[in-house]
Amino acid sequence: MYTRSAMFLAVLLALPGAAALGQMSRATLVKQSDIIFIGTVTQVGAVAVPEVPASDRTVVVHVDQVLEKPAAVALGAGDSVTVQTAQPGSLKPGSQATFYTTGWIFGQGVAVREVGHEPGHSPVVVADQQAAVARARLEMNDADLKAHIQKAAMVVAGRVEQVRPAELAGAPAHRTRISEHDAQWQEAIIQVQDGIKGAQAGEQVVVRFPTSLDVAWVGTPRFTVGQEGTFLLHKDSTTGSPESVMAGRSVPAYTALHKSDVLPKQDALRIRVLMRKP
Amino acid sequence: MRTRVIAATVALYAACDGATRQPPPAKVAGVRVVDVIPVSLSGETWQDAEPFLALYASNAQLMAASAFTPNPGGSASGTAPIFVSSDGGDTWTLRNTLPSEGMTADITHAVGATPPVLYSGILKVPGVPLNELKASDFLSPATMTLQASRADVDQPFVRTAQAASADRVYVGLNDFDAPDGRTATVDVSLDGGATYKSRRIETRATVGQNGPSIRPAVAQDRTVYVAYFGWRATAGSTVTSDIAVVRDDSGAGGATPFRDLLDPSDHLPGRLVATHVTIPWSNAPTLGQERIGSTLSIAVNPLRSDTVYLAWADRVGTGDIYTVHLRRSGDRGATWTGDLRTVTNATNASLAVSANGTVGFLYQQVTGSDSSSRWVTRLEQSRDGFTTHQDAVLATVPANSPPLQFLPYIGDYNGLLTRGDRFLGVFSASNAPDSTNFPQGVVYHRRVDFATHRLLDGSGATVAVSIDPFFFSVPVLP
Repeated sequence: MYTRSAMFLAVLLALPGAAALGQMSRATLVKQSDIIFIGTVTQVGAVAVPEVPASDRTVVVHVDQVLEKPAAVALGAGDSVTVQTAQPGSLKPGSQATFYTTGWIFGQGVAVREVGHEPGHSPVVVADQQAAVARARLEMNDADLKAHIQKAAMVVAGRVEQVRPAELAGAPAHRTRISEHDAQWQEAIIQVQDGIKGAQAGEQVVVRFPTSLDVAWVGTPRFTVGQEGTFLLHKDSTTGSPESVMAGRSVPAYTALHKSDVLPKQDALRIRVLMRKP
Repeated sequence: MRTRVIAATVALYAACDGATRQPPPAKVAGVRVVDVIPVSLSGETWQDAEPFLALYASNAQLMAASAFTPNPGGSASGTAPIFVSSDGGDTWTLRNTLPSEGMTADITHAVGATPPVLYSGILKVPGVPLNELKASDFLSPATMTLQASRADVDQPFVRTAQAASADRVYVGLNDFDAPDGRTATVDVSLDGGATYKSRRIETRATVGQNGPSIRPAVAQDRTVYVAYFGWRATAGSTVTSDIAVVRDDSGAGGATPFRDLLDPSDHLPGRLVATHVTIPWSNAPTLGQERIGSTLSIAVNPLRSDTVYLAWADRVGTGDIYTVHLRRSGDRGATWTGDLRTVTNATNASLAVSANGTVGFLYQQVTGSDSSSRWVTRLEQSRDGFTTHQDAVLATVPANSPPLQFLPYIGDYNGLLTRGDRFLGVFSASNAPDSTNFPQGVVYHRRVDFATHRLLDGSGATVAVSIDPFFFSVPVLP
């Protein structure tokens, strides 16, 4: 979804680690931002789009280079962006910086809220900033994944052996009512090939997942027979029925509802490395 | 899924009547159709389904709209967007002011008496609890304020009325925690959303619940009508339902509201406008890639609350997939006409009644078959009970593309309102840039090349066709 040059990785590997940026590290800035760009302040107390009222917190910034943005957003070098600054008076006309922002208003133009900015040493070396931001994004992705691993009850690499309808014994009545948002739960039986956390190779585990096409479940991982992967599994606290049955005995049921819960099989090694990191 | 789509298409072909294959009617003067997506989101390819609209009587410029549109930045900020217009719908901006992670799972909204107050009912992501929200200024970047919340609720549908002292808010919803399976509920606030009381409106036995759609309509004299599905039996994916209407003559401010309209058959509140109709409950692509099962709309003449219109959809059983019916009462819901309009293979009926008594009837119908099938969005108007009516085709787009990303494909509902001499509304449809798809004309603000039928992103690269919300304005019949 995000535009990144393929050269980022090559460049970042050759660069030293990012320094902390004042109150907030670059990694933190990146984590909280969805639009990051290098730009030059052209006007203070002004706006570039009619939908935003000018104030002492708004500045107009000429975009020199977009480093990250959602694909849906039309923003490129040469555009003018209205920035609501984190602190009034923190930016002067002519100053160049890397802006870490979140989308605010999308209309005839783009208005963003500043998370923070990194003053440039004019001229900013674009490749350096691209690499620094890309490295920070990877750091944050790893940090997020590590936190997700810590929350998981079980992490396994394995293969889906069977998919079957879920029987939600003991679930509250309202869970079985008819609604367009009904999850239409099914269960995947996963043969554990590598027990990374909370499981042993050779075990089988039951993972519940929604099959509904409803908007409430869009983006939720689905399972098919033969699918292989690395799975971050959480005890089922969603369906109202925490237990399932396998081979005639009651077993815990798990879920994997976040997109990060289902990863390629080869990510097992990456996960082991992250788990060993302090 | 593919099998279901093919089966539906075959059935649809059999059901199409001659009228649906006729060319669209002539262009209606004064109609505006605007793609709501702004130019700064020209790269978006999401399925922006299930649109809704709110507008002020006192300020023709301000409007709010919504759809299943995601926060372009993703879910990290914990907010979802609404669209805002400050120029009467000519242009729209997207603002992330809803407290939901990236998107909502249901959203409707209505305005307060004083611009720019806005009330909204959403199913919040994740977990889809009901959030009843208020913004003192919906143009503000501030996140809307949570006023009430609870779980196990479906399809909040917000209407408001203006009282001297405070806004009155009516949120129709299906409350699965209601006792005895009588889940049709209206959350009523008489104090601008500060407090809500859940009012149960179903008085008869159900199959364990009501249908999802609970639709309030409010007249200026504070008469409140609410339409709902009285689900009485199920067999597989088919529901046998009554179509019921309750009424309250004093704004639902009393201790036992919605008891002013009784049915002569059992003297219980809730006039049974139709009984034992067949509702095909299909939460899968069934009609032009859309699911079906809960189309319902009600509208009251704002100045003469005796007159109320009702539309719902069911399966007639003549080879149809889903058929919309439109009826009218001129005596406060006591008696009803037969069908004034019967539209085969249609959904998303929305009604509004203008101050001069003209009724507007918005619906979306699948016509044609197989690869030539189309979603046709029409606004019909009548002042004589549909003895005659004006027909404006707002859009006619391919029904089999773009492929669905999720359900609903275009929405479980759309939006129609009226102000002054205009019907104003929103619908979702394919944004394929072909001017013949929009017989009344269309304005795109997102980048587009109509000559080559291409959508473009900010860099000029081709963008895939998707579902967009479209605002429209149509003159009311004089």
